[in-house]
Amino acid sequence: MKLSTLGLLCLSAAVGTLATSVTAVADTSDKKIALSNNYAGNSWRQAMLTSWEKNASAAVADGTVAAADAFTTAENQVTEQAAQIQNLILQGYDAIVINAASPEALNGAVKEACDAGVVVVSFDGIVTEPCAYRIAVDFHNMGKVQVEYLASRLADGGDLLEIRGLAGVFVDDEISGGIHEGVAENAQFKIQGSVHGDWAQDVSQRAVAGILPSLPEIKGVVTQGGDGYGAAQAFKAAGRPTPIIVMGNRHDELTWWKEQKDANGYETMSVSIAPGVSTLAFWVAQQVLDGATVPQDLSVPFLTISQDTLEENLANTQVGGVANVEYSLEDSLAVISDN
Amino acid sequence: MTWVSQLVQKPWVWAWFGAVSMWVIITGVSGFGAGGQVMSAAASFGTFFVIVAIGQMFVITLGPGNVDLSIPACMTLSATLAMKFMNGDPGLLVPGFLISLGVGLAIGTTNFLLILFLRIPPIIATLSASFLYQSTAIWSNRGLRVKPPEVLGDFAVAKVAGVPILTLVVLVVTVGMAFLLHRTRFGLSVLAVGQNEKAAKLAGIRVERVRFLTYLMCAVFASVCGFFLAGFSGGAALNMGEQYLLMSIAVVVIGGTSVAGGYANLTGLWGASLFMFLLVSMLNTLGLSAGYRLIVTGAIIVAVIVVSGRKLAR
Repeated sequence: MKLSTLGLLCLSAAVGTLATSVTAVADTSDKKIALSNNYAGNSWRQAMLTSWEKNASAAVADGTVAAADAFTTAENQVTEQAAQIQNLILQGYDAIVINAASPEALNGAVKEACDAGVVVVSFDGIVTEPCAYRIAVDFHNMGKVQVEYLASRLADGGDLLEIRGLAGVFVDDEISGGIHEGVAENAQFKIQGSVHGDWAQDVSQRAVAGILPSLPEIKGVVTQGGDGYGAAQAFKAAGRPTPIIVMGNRHDELTWWKEQKDANGYETMSVSIAPGVSTLAFWVAQQVLDGATVPQDLSVPFLTISQDTLEENLANTQVGGVANVEYSLEDSLAVISDN
Repeated sequence: MTWVSQLVQKPWVWAWFGAVSMWVIITGVSGFGAGGQVMSAAASFGTFFVIVAIGQMFVITLGPGNVDLSIPACMTLSATLAMKFMNGDPGLLVPGFLISLGVGLAIGTTNFLLILFLRIPPIIATLSASFLYQSTAIWSNRGLRVKPPEVLGDFAVAKVAGVPILTLVVLVVTVGMAFLLHRTRFGLSVLAVGQNEKAAKLAGIRVERVRFLTYLMCAVFASVCGFFLAGFSGGAALNMGEQYLLMSIAVVVIGGTSVAGGYANLTGLWGASLFMFLLVSMLNTLGLSAGYRLIVTGAIIVAVIVVSGRKLAR
């Protein structure tokens, strides 16, 4: 009895070693990964969850991990998500991937997870707790490149309208900070008005329609994504010439851009965060569980669509959905080694 | 000067006073041309506030504890199902609209049944049920944005001499609702229930029937608002109703309807809707940062409620 157990142990150790030497994935075949998500109420988050499901179910099917379940809180609230994380620890997940409701307020729950030996990977809405891994987008630069693009298009500069996101959210402050830094470096531009569009078409449309009558001629609109189409509608309704509106990655934004491009050669660009970053977070968690060395802070490039790549990206975007990039294990390893 | 003192006695006058003040400031800063355009935009967007606020006003008038928190979910579900069904085909406009109405009727009925049979307070019943409606909307289309039929979009943004057609339609509806409130058995029953439910019951009013019709009406207004808002803004979105919950309540209260129930008016809804739009526009025009903007918005709303509330005290 004792002997056979020992033999089994040796055997499994041997198989384990063998598997490790052949491929790195077999070590995590009994590991369970959970996604803790704070909000699902818009098209970006839906695309993020769809990417996760598609990618994670494939990973479970081929035995890379034992489970990869997604959990979303009903209300976008910190307390609820903290409780959710505690539940996930108790349920015995080996890694928790988090899109957090707040950068600081979940730190207590995240620390508990780390102390319990759970790997925590945060993305998009990152957490500041040092023990967690962070996959961050350079939001600051995402704002700045918009102004740099406008500078390349408009030699004489001009008046700009800024559409911001949701007031009080860290992402909004970062992108806006980048935009203002860009404007400070390009003195030919002046931001004449700034409104909050909450990353939603109808809110942006309403806010822009309200401020537009008081503005001089606007040459460019700097945005945060999800708001470009609404801005275009507001300019049209006011009977004003359409400025260069920097677009996000929603299907209706890209479609509108394509229509304008075909009709009158309209040129602009699009910057956004691909919702498929959730799949990168999944693979990072898997790699950490596998024992790989991963830097605590990873940065991923934002998704840029130019005049030339518009058609290709539009064709790859689901009608009514969001332009997306999903990460395979190989893509993720490349991102990890680049950092 | 008796007409002045009579006018300030009206509960709805302060919302209009606020709206006009905001407009005067915007016009003062940006000139008459801008003033005209901003008024046109205010009418466009204010119309959607008014549609949901009419239903909410009837509900709030039923008395303490009565409020419909499922408005955003109802708007989203109605717009999502209708847009998905029509899929941009103008020939399906009528059945699409009927689907939207059907969603409103179903939600209104569900809300009422929860309140009546499970004896759940309306705030909790409508809030918890709204998770059900919102989840159904997510499940049915996973947040994909379906374009409305072009004819619906054109109708929703069409203007005659700067006045949106939808605004004119809703103005006519408002007059009809004012008649319903002040001149019909149903409207007077709503007021009576709000003033004293027990007395209303003893007077022979079928309170639960009145409550049922009121919640039904509120859900139908919300679903219709969702339908036209999706047409106006180029499709349904999962978060399209988000701002309409607080807005519907704020517009009702600022418009001079008593929060405690029993006293309501429709004139104030328009003043308050224009006020809410113009207030944000004015603060944007003055270039205040988001923090100050929220503080000033809150302070002004409190001020309007205090001033109009004093007049309401009886």
